[in-house]
Amino acid sequence: MATGLAIAGGQNQNNQAMPRTADGKPDLSGIWQVMNAAAWDIQDHAARKGVPAGIGVVIGNEIPYKPEALARKRQNYENRATADPESKCYLPGIPRIMYMPYPFQIFQKPDTITMLFEYVHATRFVYTNGTPHPPGHIDWWMGDSRGRWEGDTLVVDVVDFNEETWFDRAGNFHSDELHLVERFTPLDRDHITYDVTVEDPKVFTRPWRMSMILYRHRETNLQLLEYECYAFDEEFHPPVPR
Amino acid sequence: MVRRSVRTAMALVLTGTIMAATAARLSAQQPPPPPKAAPPPGWIDPRNPPKEDPSFTPARTRDGQPNLEGQWGQASDIITYSIEDPEAERAGHTAISGQRPMVGRPIIDPIDGKIPYQPWAAKFAAFLHEQHTGPSKIEYLDPVSRGFQEGIPRINYQGAFQIQQFPGTVLITYDYFHTYRVIPLDGRPHVGNDVKLWMGDSRGHWEGNTLVVDVANNNDQTWLQIVGGFHSNAFHVVERWTPTAPDHIVYIATIEDPKVYSRPWKLRVDFRRQKVEEQWESAIWEGNKTPEIVLSGPDK
Repeated sequence: MATGLAIAGGQNQNNQAMPRTADGKPDLSGIWQVMNAAAWDIQDHAARKGVPAGIGVVIGNEIPYKPEALARKRQNYENRATADPESKCYLPGIPRIMYMPYPFQIFQKPDTITMLFEYVHATRFVYTNGTPHPPGHIDWWMGDSRGRWEGDTLVVDVVDFNEETWFDRAGNFHSDELHLVERFTPLDRDHITYDVTVEDPKVFTRPWRMSMILYRHRETNLQLLEYECYAFDEEFHPPVPR
Repeated sequence: MVRRSVRTAMALVLTGTIMAATAARLSAQQPPPPPKAAPPPGWIDPRNPPKEDPSFTPARTRDGQPNLEGQWGQASDIITYSIEDPEAERAGHTAISGQRPMVGRPIIDPIDGKIPYQPWAAKFAAFLHEQHTGPSKIEYLDPVSRGFQEGIPRINYQGAFQIQQFPGTVLITYDYFHTYRVIPLDGRPHVGNDVKLWMGDSRGHWEGNTLVVDVANNNDQTWLQIVGGFHSNAFHVVERWTPTAPDHIVYIATIEDPKVYSRPWKLRVDFRRQKVEEQWESAIWEGNKTPEIVLSGPDK
């Protein structure tokens, strides 16, 4: 892969390795966040007002839309101020929530990996107990995540999406046939390579990939706060001085 | 199967406020006799609980904490509609909906089971109570019916939840509204006073077998019940989670708010262990039509 992140074996000898859990797996526990502009646009883009410029996270930069889907993507972009599900404060779906500009926290048990997001208190449970996806199709905003370890890489298969969520604020979208394979590979103690294969035969002509790095927050006093998106415009004001 | 999660979420909200509004309108014309209250088998009356076994010692986690892990749900027959007098306040609702009257009254101090408001606040609480079946403004509608976070302690009597324990942290994830709490046990101070949170800022420590959680930094936006039950941003809760048997946790919250209440007060909920199930998506905001239905219903 010509433009992929050149990381061999997932370990960097110069840094401390990712700690391990009692059952010998890489321990991904911690507070993580990306440092990129994928939330605005997963492809290469110059800065616009309020939008930082970004080198895309799509490998090869091209997203293989079917012709009619490409037209829809362009329409989404034109109408993004109101058409973007994020503007309605809906659950943003996977993978989008993984690279929004808010921290998220991982808690790890042998049979379940719990991911908690500051954005609207979203939760995600990745079951690593060998169970399959439930009988479907189920329309979920955040999909159904089943994980397994391939060596030191956590591989998560995600299906059961609705067709409401987008990939970014630039109108990149999918259907309810979206199928993701995520790969979380520890790079060293404080970095995880996050690689996603995206498949959706209704929208794309072939699978495509994104790759980025998750950075560990090392501030000792950091904790998840709240971004209750939907509550900002409509608050209750009790007759008590604040 | 399709869209059931959103539908379930809507149903939960709709059965609260909209049924309340419908009940009030119908019962105003022709008050039917309320169904007879009968708490479910195994009910634990918060105001008259069974004696605890003082010799009970809970199992320990690998790092030595009393083990509270698993799935839990309240056994106190509490409904978020009303924590003060659910049987009476829900009578109209249960009469037309056919739902079972629920009888749990969790306020154990003061002894009358009512929130001890300051006089001015009692007037405003009464106003919100009058408004709850047909609010004149959206801000007089229950915040949870509007799709907002529950706050502490209300989320604890809303539905089931799972506790996971880690060295230095207790994590609670709730079935309702993908809400969670991360409770650090390392003695760190609360976040700065200017940070106000819907779900508060939790700090825990163990006193013997009891998990004590101090919940500060609460905003003034959440209610304790659908019929009102407000507080200010000086709201402060101390929770005590005590395992009293392998399948039983006694939860006592001490609540204070010097701007709104005349004294601290206490609320008790008994949690019983449930079979652990996967926590499937509970999308509330995405499907919530309650505000528009309640505020622009056919008789508005």
